Amino acid sequence: MTGFWQYDFMRHALISALILGPVCALLGVFVTLRGMAFFSDALAHSALTGVALGLMLREVWGVPIDPLLSVLVFSLSLAALMSWLMRRGNLGADTVIAFSFTGSVALGVVVISALGKYRLLDGFLFGSIYSNSTADLWRQAILALGVGGFLLWNGRSYALATLNPDLAKVRGIPTARLDLIFALLIALTVTVCLKMLGAMLLSALIVVPPAAAKLVAGGFRQMLIFSVAGGTLCAAAGVIASWFLNVPTGPCIVLTDVAFLIGCFVFRAVKA
Amino acid sequence: MKRDFHIFEPLLRLDSVGVRYGAQVALRGVSMDVWPGDILAFIGPNGAGKSTLLKAILGLVPIDEGRLERSPEASRDRIGYVPQSLAMDKAFPLTVGEFMALHGTARGFWAGGIPRSERANVESSLEKLQAHTLRDRKLGELSGGQLQRVLLAAAMLRGPELLLLDEPASGIDRRGAEDLLELLGGIHAATGMTILFVSHDLHFVHHLATRVGCLNQSFCGLGTPQEVLHEHFLEEAFGQSFGRGPFRPAVA
Repeated sequence: MTGFWQYDFMRHALISALILGPVCALLGVFVTLRGMAFFSDALAHSALTGVALGLMLREVWGVPIDPLLSVLVFSLSLAALMSWLMRRGNLGADTVIAFSFTGSVALGVVVISALGKYRLLDGFLFGSIYSNSTADLWRQAILALGVGGFLLWNGRSYALATLNPDLAKVRGIPTARLDLIFALLIALTVTVCLKMLGAMLLSALIVVPPAAAKLVAGGFRQMLIFSVAGGTLCAAAGVIASWFLNVPTGPCIVLTDVAFLIGCFVFRAVKA
Repeated sequence: MKRDFHIFEPLLRLDSVGVRYGAQVALRGVSMDVWPGDILAFIGPNGAGKSTLLKAILGLVPIDEGRLERSPEASRDRIGYVPQSLAMDKAFPLTVGEFMALHGTARGFWAGGIPRSERANVESSLEKLQAHTLRDRKLGELSGGQLQRVLLAAAMLRGPELLLLDEPASGIDRRGAEDLLELLGGIHAATGMTILFVSHDLHFVHHLATRVGCLNQSFCGLGTPQEVLHEHFLEEAFGQSFGRGPFRPAVA
């Protein structure tokens, strides 16, 4: 354990897991209850296009843009567009997500192929939690406070709007605005977390802990507590296990989350 | 406690109200006054605009024609609303108590549970609706009748002047509907609250309503149950025969 702690990159990885694990699990409670798991997955994968467009701006036009910024702008724009299209109701939500997802990933692959930067795909898809800098940790901490604070402050509104949007509107809750903000929060979280797990595994961090918590929770408070506690412990345990087992960290975190889900499933089955 | 109203002022006045969804007309030329203490039922076939009328009163759909005037007692924050159903995942782990807390007046951070400041109010509201034993049950585990009582308790939590119910008797058995009838009748007798509801259940309407509006985009009849639950109006609205003479709930 001492050996583990003496390396900056491992300390940073563990701190990153302890910051992002709980905020993703908290966001995930609302994502799963609102049936938006595929939405967050689509945004995570579509971030590829943000990376590709940032690279294109830098390499072709010489604009010195931070890739994180291009991903953020692209993800926020796509989230707003999908949210708007889903609200119009002419197309089903799953259809909107499917064509936005596949269309933007296709565009990203075309741009990356044109730039000849295939090696970037590895880092994008699977993440590299060890490359977290101190600035990254600050960024993640600010995100956690902002997203967590906003969700808990508006918890009643989101819960009621999830149950019945008309009931929420009658109570004077601006459901359209909250829906849009929620989509943007997902995009923001996905962008900041991308470095940790990559697009392939990021959804697991958002979706699996709340799904596990939902299996055993006797109420909403319990679901929040189990999800956040499970998300935090699994993320930290995944980082530590990856050090001792000498396996990649992202997949190790996801497998720990899945083990938590299986544990909850078994617990429920035994209890029943 | 009974409410003290100026009885010569209607709570709501609808004057030739029309609502459209795109090119489709949902309501046209709907005029009526809703008086304090009314129990007004809207009946009619599917697509007649009954739920749309409730939604127009709630301000959930825009009115395209005519006017809707409200007295201060019927402002939106003084309306309780019971929707036909909750579009919820049955596994949504929200307890009845937590659901009630969503309708309370508390503001600020919420991470589930019932805030201390809301507990007495939640308990009392559930008790009035004989639903206090359900407080710790999950919403998804309730029967249709139990869910209706909880929805009603939530709508009553802030002591509304006007209660709007969309198909309160749907999805519950006859016994549950009778219990609900008794509860709503009791609430009205105790508070004098104005109640507007939509229903397909003519038995329920006959026993609860003091006035009935027979709707098919516009009113084809508006009056007492004895006047409106009659072969003539029902045939006009539903396009089928209901037997001769006035509607007989025992037969229906």
